[in-house]
Amino acid sequence: MRLRGLLWFNAVFFIMPVAPFASVVVEGRVELPKSHSAPVQAKRYEIVTKGGVLSTQPPLAVVYLEGAFPRPVSSATKEVAQKDLTFVPALLPIQVGTRVAFPNLDDTYHNIFSYSPAKRFDLGRYRPEERPIPTQAFDKPGLVTLRCDIHEHMRGLILVLKSQYFVMTDMDGHFRLSGLPAGHYTLKAWIDSRTTLEKPVELKDGQTLHVDFP
Amino acid sequence: MRSAVQSRDEGVASFRTRLFTAIMVIVATLTALGFYLAQRKVTADAERNLQENFQAEISSLHKLEELRHAALAERCKVLAAKPRIHAAMEDNAIDLLYPSAKDELRDLMEGDEPPPEEATQSLHAKFYRFLDNTGAVIRPPNPYDVGELDAKTEAQLALSRLPDTQQIGYIRGNAETGSATIDEVIAVPIFSSYTGEVISALVIGFKPLELEEKNAEVGLRSGVWVNGQLHLPSLRKAAQASLNEKIASVVKNSDREQDSFRVNVDSAPQLLFYKQLNPGSLFPAAYEICVYPLAYSMAELHRLRWQIGGAGVLLLLGGFVASHVVALRFSAPVKKLALDSEENREQRQRAEAALASTAQELERSTRYSADASHQLKSPVTVVRVGLEALLKREGFKPQVYEELSALLHQTHRLTGVIDDLLLLSRMDAGHLRIASTPVNLSELVDQWLDDLSALPDSPDVKIEKEFTAGLFVAGEKRYTSLIVQNLLENARKYNRPGGLIRVSAHSNGRNVVLSIGNTGPTIPPDENIFERFHHRSTPSAASGHGIGLNLARELARLHGGDLCLLRSENDWTEFEVRFPAADGVNAVA
Repeated sequence: MRLRGLLWFNAVFFIMPVAPFASVVVEGRVELPKSHSAPVQAKRYEIVTKGGVLSTQPPLAVVYLEGAFPRPVSSATKEVAQKDLTFVPALLPIQVGTRVAFPNLDDTYHNIFSYSPAKRFDLGRYRPEERPIPTQAFDKPGLVTLRCDIHEHMRGLILVLKSQYFVMTDMDGHFRLSGLPAGHYTLKAWIDSRTTLEKPVELKDGQTLHVDFP
Repeated sequence: MRSAVQSRDEGVASFRTRLFTAIMVIVATLTALGFYLAQRKVTADAERNLQENFQAEISSLHKLEELRHAALAERCKVLAAKPRIHAAMEDNAIDLLYPSAKDELRDLMEGDEPPPEEATQSLHAKFYRFLDNTGAVIRPPNPYDVGELDAKTEAQLALSRLPDTQQIGYIRGNAETGSATIDEVIAVPIFSSYTGEVISALVIGFKPLELEEKNAEVGLRSGVWVNGQLHLPSLRKAAQASLNEKIASVVKNSDREQDSFRVNVDSAPQLLFYKQLNPGSLFPAAYEICVYPLAYSMAELHRLRWQIGGAGVLLLLGGFVASHVVALRFSAPVKKLALDSEENREQRQRAEAALASTAQELERSTRYSADASHQLKSPVTVVRVGLEALLKREGFKPQVYEELSALLHQTHRLTGVIDDLLLLSRMDAGHLRIASTPVNLSELVDQWLDDLSALPDSPDVKIEKEFTAGLFVAGEKRYTSLIVQNLLENARKYNRPGGLIRVSAHSNGRNVVLSIGNTGPTIPPDENIFERFHHRSTPSAASGHGIGLNLARELARLHGGDLCLLRSENDWTEFEVRFPAADGVNAVA
């Protein structure tokens, strides 16, 4: 419950600062891939690979508005913790330039690194009490695969977006993006590392647009 | 006689020679067979021993290699599973592949090459490379870190496709520099953590394990044949080149993973074994090659040949002696047999000669008797006729007439003797045959008894007759008569004055038996009265010429009957003569 709450907290936290500048709301539903296992409330999200495709399990999607927007003046530090030998959250969408901290909440060493083109870094081995908490800034848009050199099965994803308008769906695929600027944009839904659906949208002030994927 | 002994000796000698030849042939055959079998066995044994030796070496080598491969495989699997390497592959960061691997494989690559005795435990790698998804080698940015290889050697690491399983291969390293080496490489597949597919392979090169040095003592030289090239440093280049072609053709034409064949290396016979080191590998087939000089086994063969040859010679000598002994033993009875038969023959010849001469003599004497009788008869007749003529003349004194009469009587006796002799000689010559007709014995006896009593000097004896008239015997009258006459004259002659002559006869159906007994001096039991020219020891006035009884018995036997002395005791001597009865004439008495 706490975890799920955290997710929602994150989503709201991201959207809130930009809300005063825009009034457009897009809501709808993304048709998520069917999960083999029945969704359990307490089940945590993890990154799975299937046929070479990375996705969350249970499936979640990130819906975002494509486009170049001015960067926010101050961006808060996000966090991907290592807890119980998994990354929490498993999937983190951030805007370019955001710093992410990687606190170790386990009792063992972790060695978080990424060879992804969007961001290569290697935090080296560190213990839970490591201070300051290792942090990385993500300056290029793209999907960053997080790995642990010690625990080879650990996978985490950071989706670095140019846009600051993004939201994660709930488990049913429902989403609501508010505070969007008016204009012609492309609304995209990232479903897994290979699949990103997109739809052109015409956003008008004060309007609440309903968009479903696909 | 001398030639007979000679031929006999020759026969024995030839028997011995044949026996000895037979034994020689058998021994020679056995020796040759022994030779052949032993040679085959030695050759087969030598090759099998070598094979086994080689197999044992190879298998121990293979066990070591397997151990090392297993250790390497485990190590490589861990390496291949390293998140950084995976990350480099999967997260499109090939440039980070070798730098990451350098860290991960540091323990494999760093440090000095271990001493040979620790080579089996060591996982010291000479070089490593990654293959991309086509099987081609991913060139390292800094070859120094991953073990330098020349381009040609590096090219040998590429595979036609990525392997699913660990692959073993052998490559000729640094062929260009001249100091060629053989390196063993292990290719380990790297599976994608996303798809489970093989996305790469890690190829690690090692110094290969080598057969132990102790093999060098027996001359076993080993090397590797790969990619049409033989790597056997202990051989000269020319020898390697010639072997190379041979191996290539054998390997090409055989689908066996291992085999052996004979080769000549530096004009010395060698046994070459080969065994594929990496069956089923994607890398080119590599063969362990062992060359073993056959000199040792040849020497062994040579030694055994001598032994067998020696044994054969001994056997032959033994056979020679044995054949001699056996021939002697066998020929002794043969010799004896030959001698015996020789003696037998001689004896037979002697007997035959004796018989022939006896027969000749007999015939001659018979003829002589007959001739003599005839020759005597004529002068006797002349004398008798002369005497009779003188008796008829008158004018002599009465004393002269008495003497003439006595002489005349003697000529009659002489004629009788001559006739008897003539008859005997005819019988002896077997010329006398009885023309058998029924003869009336009763009548014959009566006639002779009448004649007997009419004789002038007949003594005063009484005659008793006990026979019926008409007893017929089968005989020839003149001879039957002669028997009766002889017996009756003897009965009269050896009688005493006032004595008795009893003549009895009876028929028992088949025979007619005539008994003539007389009183007078008896015949001693040891006197053979039937002997020719026998004279009674008993002095008597009337003595015969000694052939009468003999003649009578011979004649009786000729008739098919017999004559014997029945008894002679107590002033009584009785003879019995048996004649065959004339058929159907006599009535049974």
